[in-house]
Amino acid sequence: MQQLNPSEISEIIKSRIDNLNVSSEAQNEGTIVSVSDGIIRIHGLADVMYGEMIEFDGGVYGMALNLERDSVGAVVLGDYQTLAEGQKARCTGRVLEVPVGPELEGRVVDALGNPIDGKGAINAALTDPLEKVAPGVIDRQSVDQPVQIGLKAIDAMVPIGRGQRELIIGDRQIGKTAIAVDAIINQKGSGIKCIYVAIGQKASSVAAVVRKLEEHGAMEHTIVVAATASDPAAMQYLAPFAGCTMGEYYRDRGQDALIIYDDLTKQAWAYRQISLLLKRPPGREAYPGDVFYLHSRLLERAARVNPNYVEKFTNGEVKGKTGSLTALPVIETQAGDVSAFVPTNVISITDGQIFLEADMFNAGVRPAMNAGVSVSRVGGAAQTKIIKKLSGGIRTALAQYRELAAFSQFASDLDEATKAQLDHGQRVTELMKQKQYSPQSIAELGLMLYAADNGYLKTVEVNKIGDFEAAVLSYMKAEHSDLMKQINDSGSYNDDIAAGFKAALDKFVSTQTW
Amino acid sequence: MAELSTLARPYAKAAFEYADQAGQLQGWSDSLAIAGAVAEQPNVVKLLASPTYTAKQQAAVLVEICGDALSAAGQNFLAVLSEHRRLQLLPEISRQFEILKANREKAVDVEVISAQLLTDDQQQQLSDALSAKLERKVNMQVRLDKSLLGGAVIRAGDTVIDGSIRGRLAKLAESLHS
Repeated sequence: MQQLNPSEISEIIKSRIDNLNVSSEAQNEGTIVSVSDGIIRIHGLADVMYGEMIEFDGGVYGMALNLERDSVGAVVLGDYQTLAEGQKARCTGRVLEVPVGPELEGRVVDALGNPIDGKGAINAALTDPLEKVAPGVIDRQSVDQPVQIGLKAIDAMVPIGRGQRELIIGDRQIGKTAIAVDAIINQKGSGIKCIYVAIGQKASSVAAVVRKLEEHGAMEHTIVVAATASDPAAMQYLAPFAGCTMGEYYRDRGQDALIIYDDLTKQAWAYRQISLLLKRPPGREAYPGDVFYLHSRLLERAARVNPNYVEKFTNGEVKGKTGSLTALPVIETQAGDVSAFVPTNVISITDGQIFLEADMFNAGVRPAMNAGVSVSRVGGAAQTKIIKKLSGGIRTALAQYRELAAFSQFASDLDEATKAQLDHGQRVTELMKQKQYSPQSIAELGLMLYAADNGYLKTVEVNKIGDFEAAVLSYMKAEHSDLMKQINDSGSYNDDIAAGFKAALDKFVSTQTW
Repeated sequence: MAELSTLARPYAKAAFEYADQAGQLQGWSDSLAIAGAVAEQPNVVKLLASPTYTAKQQAAVLVEICGDALSAAGQNFLAVLSEHRRLQLLPEISRQFEILKANREKAVDVEVISAQLLTDDQQQQLSDALSAKLERKVNMQVRLDKSLLGGAVIRAGDTVIDGSIRGRLAKLAESLHS
């Protein structure tokens, strides 16, 4: 039996009929000349704008992308099976818009903002255009507040600040999405809204991510924008812009948001497909000439804006607050080749990268971050005091360890200093390993860094480091929760805290087992 | 592949400017219309596509068919077209020539499709209103289409004013759907 929708109440229908604007305005009309692979050529439409929505028969919409002398090239947003040569196409005078606002939180939507999670309509009060210009120079403020990812290796070595763009790059299946999902889970309670944009992924992978987020209670502050592999290329091309517009809602109102584009390689592929079908000239790797601009204009919109901008935008409603949109774009490489076209482009656009390596992943180092190549160009200024103070030794320890490890494979006799360095490096590498879905707080990270720096790991066997860490952390939770809470709240580091760490660790080492 | 209209544009423009300077717009318009109609005949289409005739022969055949309709300049025009193997463009050139001519004369072809037969009075009113709105002289053609249910659709080039009941119902259906 067919069911009635809530919108099918006679009164509502009556009012909608009443409110319908039936005035006949002059419209621009054209004729479809050809339909091929989701690309429509239209004759006529002399007044069409670039990027304007075009209405076809049967309620199908398209977007004008090529304005040529005698024809218009457009992509269909949705199903193009019903379109045929000779049908009419009409200008709408509108550019593409998506709903924005808090109503979207906790929902899964497609690239046009339509819900696809079966939880009913989204009654968002506002919509915003997909393509917007990034904030200008005077609207910006430098990055000086941290986004805690919750992964020891990242928070200690490649800190990320609010408003930063940090690339996650690596081969397939080595934990790029895992980092992104952990980052979202760790934003629970931090006030940072998250947007996860899935581009060209399997629908099953998207469903798995959503399920994981729900399991960890992270869906309440998250919007998932999904353009799966079976969606038209146009939707995969537009999905990041849609997500970005949803994120800008928070940025412009003095709040903080984190957006993850997973992944931009597939978006570039979709854009390449559209461009080639539109007969734009192919360039390197058959990408069109503006593939750099495609990503640069998207990532420029992730920014930290100053209070003046926020005040002006909200007409004085929000005062003295900065807003930020932090972006974590993901790029997939082929066999570690970062010199391909799209990876080099995005590396040069972003403020640093987290480089994941297959060898490290296979050796069991997870997250498989290569600490030597991974950098954060602006995050250092945003790091909390305690992490900044304590993490200094970690990077050098790992760098020296890598050098020595390669060298010591051939050496039989090593002096004591070298041995100690190797030992330390091994233990730090082990310490940086972390299970998925178990983000750590600043205090926990600080404590473990303190332990590594001050030689508490020396007595622990390398393969027991993980157990040691778990035992210390549960001990601290039970015995010194006030100290940990104080650090988490303030993020500062002083002699009192150092003394507190020392006392707690000494006590633990002397009394506990692991 | 470039579109026919793109290929035809320079020819139409050249023909128009020549005719305009010579003050023979109407004459050229008529002869191009005839030549265009001839070039659209299936037999002629076949002839023009055939590789066994030289360009000169094709032009000669066309000139002969058109007979008196072509002035000397018009024959030269066909010769130029044949040199570039563009005789197939004649219908399109004729269409574009008409558009250029209409633009020059500040005239516009308007198609009015109505559900009921319009009285002469109504047609006159519509024509006046349209020429005021479009700021052009209106050449109106009226067509009957019962499936519109009521009202009329006015089409002037790319601009369409849909005042039909069918169009309104479609709008209503869409707003109820969304």
